Amino acid sequence: MKEQWRLLQTGLNTAFSNMAIDQAVLVANSDGMVPPTVRFYGWMPPAISIGYFQSLTDEIDIQACERFGVNYVRRITGGGAVFHEKELTYSIVIPESHIKIPKNIMESYSRICGAIMKGLQYLGIESDYAPINDIVAGGRKISGNAQTRKLQTVLQHGTVLMDVDVDKMFSLLKIPNEKIKDKLIDDVKQRVTSVKHFLGKEMRFTQIAEAMKVGFEEEFQVELIEGMLSTGELTLAKKLEKERFSTIQWNHRR
Amino acid sequence: MRSQSIYKVPQGKLLKISLEYNQDNNVIKNIRITGDFFAYPEEAIERMEREINGTLLEKKQLLEKIHSIINVDHIHFIGLDAESLVQGILMCKQ
Repeated sequence: MKEQWRLLQTGLNTAFSNMAIDQAVLVANSDGMVPPTVRFYGWMPPAISIGYFQSLTDEIDIQACERFGVNYVRRITGGGAVFHEKELTYSIVIPESHIKIPKNIMESYSRICGAIMKGLQYLGIESDYAPINDIVAGGRKISGNAQTRKLQTVLQHGTVLMDVDVDKMFSLLKIPNEKIKDKLIDDVKQRVTSVKHFLGKEMRFTQIAEAMKVGFEEEFQVELIEGMLSTGELTLAKKLEKERFSTIQWNHRR
Repeated sequence: MRSQSIYKVPQGKLLKISLEYNQDNNVIKNIRITGDFFAYPEEAIERMEREINGTLLEKKQLLEKIHSIINVDHIHFIGLDAESLVQGILMCKQ
């Protein structure tokens, strides 16, 4: 019998809640309270997440975010700023000691990205892993990923771009040099794609989630069983949302 | 003296250093290391920033200091390394 992991479909949440749930699942898995978990989710309202090491005010035009009703949050993972609007976000939480997770961090990125690539293939999109932390289709980025390891547990989360609005993204992000802004936007438009752009048609969130479920099941040879957050996870997520991810102290700490 | 640098790590990520140092003796007073790199454990970066304060703004000493912090805290960088960190810091020197 195949190993069973938990699948969480938590729908659309605020940035603060989304980041709190990922961390709560990490803690619960580390405590042995829940099995390895794959989660699919989205963002409402749209939000920008920044990497743990980034300076919020260097990266984000806060006034523009407020004007557009876009939230912003600091992740517990490194990496860059991401505008989350039309995308499926996944997370996987699993013990570092699990036999299917390479000890080497770069190898584990590649392995987990393999699940996303298999999911994309199921949608008809051939893709490649592009180290350090991207997946590209037709040479263009379609997925960004970030991993942390805490409490002997791996958390990797990442995006599958369903559609992308580069102009809107750049109206929310700060760039180092205003003079080259137009060129930068053109470059990014050339370097980024999405499920919609690649296939020439829209796919629903649920279709993409179904494909990614198959991708994880095939890559890791497991069965994903749909479940719910435990009471402990919900309580911790609420606490982390309130005391960490929605606070100025956390989001403006760098 | 306050200054900033942006350094694209070769085959790596974008490193941004914000530095305050004493121009008379070139001693670092305050440093902030930001960017889209990865470091494990993440929290070690804040300790690294505190440890760098008081170091001379000079290649050899900075490299020694940073290597020693990396060893003590078992820091694993992805998209960044000690040499690039030193490069980014020295770019702040006016």
